[in-house]
Amino acid sequence: MKRFVRILIVGLLVIGISGVSFGQCPSTLDKIKNSGVLTLGVRNASGPFSFINRQNDRVGFSNDLAELVHKAIEKKLGKPIKLEMKETSPSTRIPMLTSQAVDLVTETYTDTRSRRESIDFSITYFVTGAQFIVKKGSPIKGAQDTGGKRIGTQQGSTNERVLREKYTNAQLVTFPDQAAAFMALQQGKLDAYCNDGIQLWGLKYKSGNPDQWEVVGDYISYEPYGMGMRKNDSDFRGVVNAALMEAIEGGEYFKLYDKWFGPKGELPYPMTPDVKAFLLYQVVPK
Amino acid sequence: MFGLFGLSYEFRWSVLWVDPHLTWLLNGLSTTLRLAAISWIIAVLLGIIFGAMRTVSFRPAHAIATVYVEFFRNVPLLVWLFFWYFGAPEVFPEFLKQWFIRHGIEFWSGVAAISIYHGSRLAEVIRSGIQAIPKTQLEAGLSSGLSVIETYRLILIPVALRLIVPPATNESLNLLKNTSLAMTIGVAELTFAARQIETYTAKAVEALTAAALIYLVLCLTISMIMNKIERKYAIPGLIARGTGAEH
Repeated sequence: MKRFVRILIVGLLVIGISGVSFGQCPSTLDKIKNSGVLTLGVRNASGPFSFINRQNDRVGFSNDLAELVHKAIEKKLGKPIKLEMKETSPSTRIPMLTSQAVDLVTETYTDTRSRRESIDFSITYFVTGAQFIVKKGSPIKGAQDTGGKRIGTQQGSTNERVLREKYTNAQLVTFPDQAAAFMALQQGKLDAYCNDGIQLWGLKYKSGNPDQWEVVGDYISYEPYGMGMRKNDSDFRGVVNAALMEAIEGGEYFKLYDKWFGPKGELPYPMTPDVKAFLLYQVVPK
Repeated sequence: MFGLFGLSYEFRWSVLWVDPHLTWLLNGLSTTLRLAAISWIIAVLLGIIFGAMRTVSFRPAHAIATVYVEFFRNVPLLVWLFFWYFGAPEVFPEFLKQWFIRHGIEFWSGVAAISIYHGSRLAEVIRSGIQAIPKTQLEAGLSSGLSVIETYRLILIPVALRLIVPPATNESLNLLKNTSLAMTIGVAELTFAARQIETYTAKAVEALTAAALIYLVLCLTISMIMNKIERKYAIPGLIARGTGAEH
């Protein structure tokens, strides 16, 4: 009897394992349809893209765009879908996507070719580049001045990679999150902190003493932001991209841009004509 | 095999030994070893001093040691790391702070946090070792003309250190593994290196497996050494158990 039970258990395990491993991964749209939930990967302190505001709500430009995607998915599936949000970070974004913990990462996610080996991206919805934030009057005016200086970076970010590969004389101090790095800068433990320009403007405005900080230097990297999703799921990617294209084409995107980055927005950051043209060219005809 | 988790995953173990990834791992390993070794030495010294103070009848010494142990062991190590990195240096004189900033402040804050935290835990282990020795040994030492400090130094602590080898091994292994938390304050140790490879290549399983194996090998080596020490220094008749723990 004991032996029989043992064989039964082993047999079930074998069937279970092989069944799962040979079964197909469910498509994201099926998963959302079955569970009735769309799970977003968001951030708590990447303002104004994705952050927690004073009222303790998760808000931001990326969140607003995700809301448009959410509506498009509801329309596509023909039923109401619940929206859930989970905290992600540069180093957890890919594992959380592949393990199906989140369906769509909507925060400040730079589209890169090496990331595209593991996941897929939506069309680009924001463009920025790496710069430095320094205390006013600092001798650092750009990447050329970083030799021998203590430069803070965020682990897993694309600009960390650019600095490590191109500006090898900089002394990099890499932190898992932006809050720790900026605190170290404020305390004088770093000479500069490097991140996407738009994020540095966000830090400057939120520091409580914006005049004390300067964002300096030319862009040392090109950072096109996209929404991250699981690889090889073109139905889902199609819905996401169509929602973004419609928002850009219909002008809703620019209203949201104005809400967050306009003169009265959270963080004034006027859109250059180049970027505007680039966004419009991404919209393929109906 | 990763079909188990419902995801298709392509293994590419070569990411571990192409440069610069291998250099990162080796640098991370070296930082981990230095951080662990320096912290361990300080922690053992703190442990012996405060562990012994916890057992003496001189009240102020006992009180100081108790405050140290209870204060430092009852706050999470992660909080201590932030304290020693973001908090403590801010009250240092400016020249001292600047000196530390130019000489690896992240590393030394990590040493301070880990050694003081683990010192408080080792103090308890050492106290238990001393208290396991019959009180008559202290009395015998005193009546043979030794002072209290001499009795501790020559009789009680040498015996106690032998008694506590198994729990002290445990603490030492914990200390080694806890150095991985130092990455939160920017120390580029082994776990940091693994995460770095992961973020560059998106090969999480390979990178973290490499880190896990390295920690495993380090810990097994320490266990083996401690096991040898335990056998070598066993006092026959008192705490000899013939054989050490099996591995």
